[in-house]
Amino acid sequence: MAVVRRADPVDLPFPRAAEGARGATRGRLRRWLPIGIGLAMAAVMVVVAAAAPLIAPLSPSAQFSDAVLKGPGAVERHLLGTDEFGRDILSRIIWGARVSLEVGLASVIFGFVLGVPLGILAGVRGGRVETLVMRCADMLMAFPTLLLALIIVTALGGSLVNEILAIGVALTPNFVRLARSLALTIRGQDYILAARALGGGQLRIMARHVFPNALYALVVVATLYIATAIRTEAGLSFLGLGIPPPTPSWGNILSEGRQYIKCCPWITTFSGLAIMVAVLAFNLVGDALRDLLDPRLKGE
Amino acid sequence: MFQYVLRRLIVAVPMLLGAMSIVFLAMRILPGDPCVAMMGDQATTEALADCTKNLGLNRPLAVQYVDYLWRSIRFDFGSSFRQGYPVSEYIARMFPHTFVLVMASAIVAALVGIPIGIVSALKRRNPLVDYPLRIIALLGLSMPVFWLGILLLIAFSLHLNLFPLIGGGDLDGVLAMIRSGEVFSQPRDFLAGVGDVLHHLTLPALALGFTLAATVSRLSRSAMLEVISQDYIRTARAKGQRERLVVYKHALRNMMVPLLTIIGIFVAIALTGTVLTETVFTRPGLGKMLVDAIGARDYPLAQGAITVFTMIIIVVNLIVDMLYAVVDPRITYR
Repeated sequence: MAVVRRADPVDLPFPRAAEGARGATRGRLRRWLPIGIGLAMAAVMVVVAAAAPLIAPLSPSAQFSDAVLKGPGAVERHLLGTDEFGRDILSRIIWGARVSLEVGLASVIFGFVLGVPLGILAGVRGGRVETLVMRCADMLMAFPTLLLALIIVTALGGSLVNEILAIGVALTPNFVRLARSLALTIRGQDYILAARALGGGQLRIMARHVFPNALYALVVVATLYIATAIRTEAGLSFLGLGIPPPTPSWGNILSEGRQYIKCCPWITTFSGLAIMVAVLAFNLVGDALRDLLDPRLKGE
Repeated sequence: MFQYVLRRLIVAVPMLLGAMSIVFLAMRILPGDPCVAMMGDQATTEALADCTKNLGLNRPLAVQYVDYLWRSIRFDFGSSFRQGYPVSEYIARMFPHTFVLVMASAIVAALVGIPIGIVSALKRRNPLVDYPLRIIALLGLSMPVFWLGILLLIAFSLHLNLFPLIGGGDLDGVLAMIRSGEVFSQPRDFLAGVGDVLHHLTLPALALGFTLAATVSRLSRSAMLEVISQDYIRTARAKGQRERLVVYKHALRNMMVPLLTIIGIFVAIALTGTVLTETVFTRPGLGKMLVDAIGARDYPLAQGAITVFTMIIIVVNLIVDMLYAVVDPRITYR
């Protein structure tokens, strides 16, 4: 006997009215809650980084010989404990937020500014320009982000600017590829044809029509790349190739604390936690924004 | 098919060449003189000049470049500045360590990531299932492998004393036993060796595997979403087929093609991950070798390691492209 089954709810096009209203509220909550949480976390980080001199309880480089390798709360003034030089971990983590955010934001802006125009140019112009740009991007894409950043930062030496440059260059091919694929879709639209018919030059079309229409998707992806950049920076600093000590960065605090994991695991634990929270914040925002854009998830 | 393979190979060659050129140039603008790094600040000018000549660094850049390319084609990356013996030999010794780490973490990542991705795509309307799974995936994606590694070391090596703190086990011994055939004459020793290797491998593989699982789960979620929005899934459901059969018979098989792309991306991420993982766990391998070589300004060794990394990534992507045709008969190559 054939069993008649009701179709899965996935395929029901018209939900009942009451369910629909409740579902819509739930849907909105589901969409905006992660963005809200992510944005709040990112905002806290930005405030902490910007106000580091005001909110850090102590100087990040001040050494307290009476409080070497003390655990969290063991000495009242050191809430998260101290490192091998008696420096306050909390203050170093707060100051370290500056480095991570600076590198995260600046390298993504660098990659965006370099990659997006090239990608749009390749997508709109096509032909040899496209081949040349895309082959170069492919060549750089053969290197994973950390590996390419590692090569560049090794060549240039570890400093804030060099790290930004290294991670920025490593991220560029991703922006080139995305901008090109967006430009390829956009250039076939009627409004581009209209702009051409009105006598708009190629540069004007790229700047006034293609770029603004690709911007939303590009910004969403850029948010995710901030997370990648922060993680890459931490990785470089961990390997000893980032900003040299004593300037605190989360990666180098963690790297220095590695020698003391047996006696003093708080150094690595708290600095690693800071990296994770920062990366998580931008991943949450980027992820949620991307879901909003995903046509396959429309109407959910 | 043959023509396609040939064309892909022809495209891969300039890519590899370009990547190698980037490596060569980057290594040549490194700050600091490798001879000074090797001999120290106290070395005399004559000694430094001698060293520069011996290493061939006094030759014009173009000559060094052509020499590097020609040698690399034959897997001859010169000799390590520091240790003195051939880089290719060093790489051959380190490669198995990295290979087992990548394979073991791939198994962890696949076992954790693929089911999470599939379930989170299918149950995406059920917040009790979808939310926890997505949070796990996001945590994995946001957790740096070196931090997770340290946490595992603190918990399982230092406190519980279950796993070793450093090293990679006697993999060389195990491989030597396989080569010499002792694996059959002394199976007990062989198994003990394998056990030792696995003992050393567990924590690094878990650390790298878990962070990779996040990427795998997102890609498989995406692949599953793509597949279940297809018409044939709707048809299968419309004819009243059980949901379980829809998933197993129709969705899973068709998910294979987009999943294959994961392998390419996976290898690239995993290889980068080995650089950090091997450093955290002080395990021998290509990644740690690269970091040490950069620290010691050992050009040939660093160059060789990066070239091999790049070669692996390009070749794996080439193989993945070809596998598409095998898995999905709808794809034809012209």
